Amino acid sequence: MYFYPLGDDALLINFEQKINREINQEVAKLTSYLRKKKVDGIRYYIPAYCSLTVGYDPVKWNFTDLTERIRRFSDKTYRESLEYNSRFWKIPVCYDPQYALDLPALASEKNVSEEQIVTWHLSCKYQVYMLGFLPGFVYLGDLPETLHCQRKKQPRMKVPAQSVALAGAQTGIYPSSAPGGWQIIGKTPLSIFNPENEEPFLFQMGDQVLFYQVDNTDFLEIATLDLVNLKKLFLSYES
Amino acid sequence: MSHKLTMIIVKPGLQTTIQDLGRSGWQEFGVPVSGAMDRRSLRLANLLVGNAVNNPCLEITLLGPEILFDGNGLIAITGANLSPAINDHPIPLHLPIKIYAGDRLSFGKYINGCRSYLAVHGHWLSPRWLNSYSVVPYCDGFPSLPPYIKKNHHISIEYLRLPEKEITIEKQSIAESIIEVIPGPEFHEFSQESRSQFGNETFEITNQSNRMGYRLKEKLTGPLVTRSLISSGVVPGTIQVTHSGQMIILMADAQTTGGYPRIGVVRSADLDILGQKKPGDTIRFKLIHWT
Repeated sequence: MYFYPLGDDALLINFEQKINREINQEVAKLTSYLRKKKVDGIRYYIPAYCSLTVGYDPVKWNFTDLTERIRRFSDKTYRESLEYNSRFWKIPVCYDPQYALDLPALASEKNVSEEQIVTWHLSCKYQVYMLGFLPGFVYLGDLPETLHCQRKKQPRMKVPAQSVALAGAQTGIYPSSAPGGWQIIGKTPLSIFNPENEEPFLFQMGDQVLFYQVDNTDFLEIATLDLVNLKKLFLSYES
Repeated sequence: MSHKLTMIIVKPGLQTTIQDLGRSGWQEFGVPVSGAMDRRSLRLANLLVGNAVNNPCLEITLLGPEILFDGNGLIAITGANLSPAINDHPIPLHLPIKIYAGDRLSFGKYINGCRSYLAVHGHWLSPRWLNSYSVVPYCDGFPSLPPYIKKNHHISIEYLRLPEKEITIEKQSIAESIIEVIPGPEFHEFSQESRSQFGNETFEITNQSNRMGYRLKEKLTGPLVTRSLISSGVVPGTIQVTHSGQMIILMADAQTTGGYPRIGVVRSADLDILGQKKPGDTIRFKLIHWT
């Protein structure tokens, strides 16, 4: 792990700079471990693909001392001993043409049927590598290689909220309606962001996600559920 | 008995938003920190009217709004001098000023700075989210979130009694243009040429600059860091260098993650200086050693 100052009140911890599940889980573990330790003077964490940004109170810490403190945690304790329960979501997606705005073009570009794209998208379990870009936007990986694709040349001014989309080696879900260049292949009926809820965000970094297909009727029914019920219905844990 | 006054936004101005010290702690979910671009001026404005320092203020950018006060109260303006006037009579900055029902606050000629802060004594009855009144960028379509200010927007404020003791402060200078910078994670990967250019030359803020970030006009030359980085968490003040050599300083409403090489990060106190810079203004960077 490499530590860098990020200004006078934050530091960046770089893990091995690769996008893969194991490294990302190490980031999740270190974050969860530090959080449990409730280190006085740490203000926030931003766990990402293979790095962790830590914001601190410069009155209580300086870069050298906080680096020392975190390095001690990480070297001795956390690697082998940490129990880490990863949250596991089963997330419904409707691939109906009214939501799957880019599915026909993507299928023809790849010279396969739309059903094949959907089958590939449903074929593997994804990891929430990071949240960013918009409040609640989730970056999920890794896509099967057959689904890797470019961003759209002409980004949309408004991607509908809850759209499920592809870009590069990743799939993502739009929490709110926003401009965006990802290829839209469906929509989840779950509101993954609800500012009125005490916990406004459905996902957190490190979560595991499996998509399953729903038709329009189910979509409309599930769409009426609130976030509290979503957790009961669509979330389980695995260690 | 409590009093209430309402600010009626007759004209919103160029960019007028409600800001406080922002909502730190939610960056891991992609929520920008937001808050005042010049936090020191916001704190001062609040102190002048007897508020807690993190009370919301109106952040007023270059072309000020026109505001009608429906009720009596106490206000103060700090930061940029945009020639504020009440009922067309000029009022000074950095002083608490009593206002009365029917008073009209307007702004006129640009004198200096970029952002004024208008504090009003009392408890603002505006929507809050995650402990902040600041408008949430990138979040359209959620009516319960703190809104952008438009024409005819009403902001109501409640208070028990106005403070009697008059607070005075020293006038603040906003002419500063040297920005202290701590070397960023990729600083040493930049060529000697780029680094010396960064530390020695003057850079102009372009008009493609806003609360999310400032783009600088002069590009870094020489061999640049062009390897692609994997996105990681960034903070306001991070100076990203695009592959064409253009520098972007991330500001209060910046996204929480970024993937460009970071040549440096602005010292947090100096973000206030940047917050008072407008397109066309120039700045210089001074690298400081940091441990």
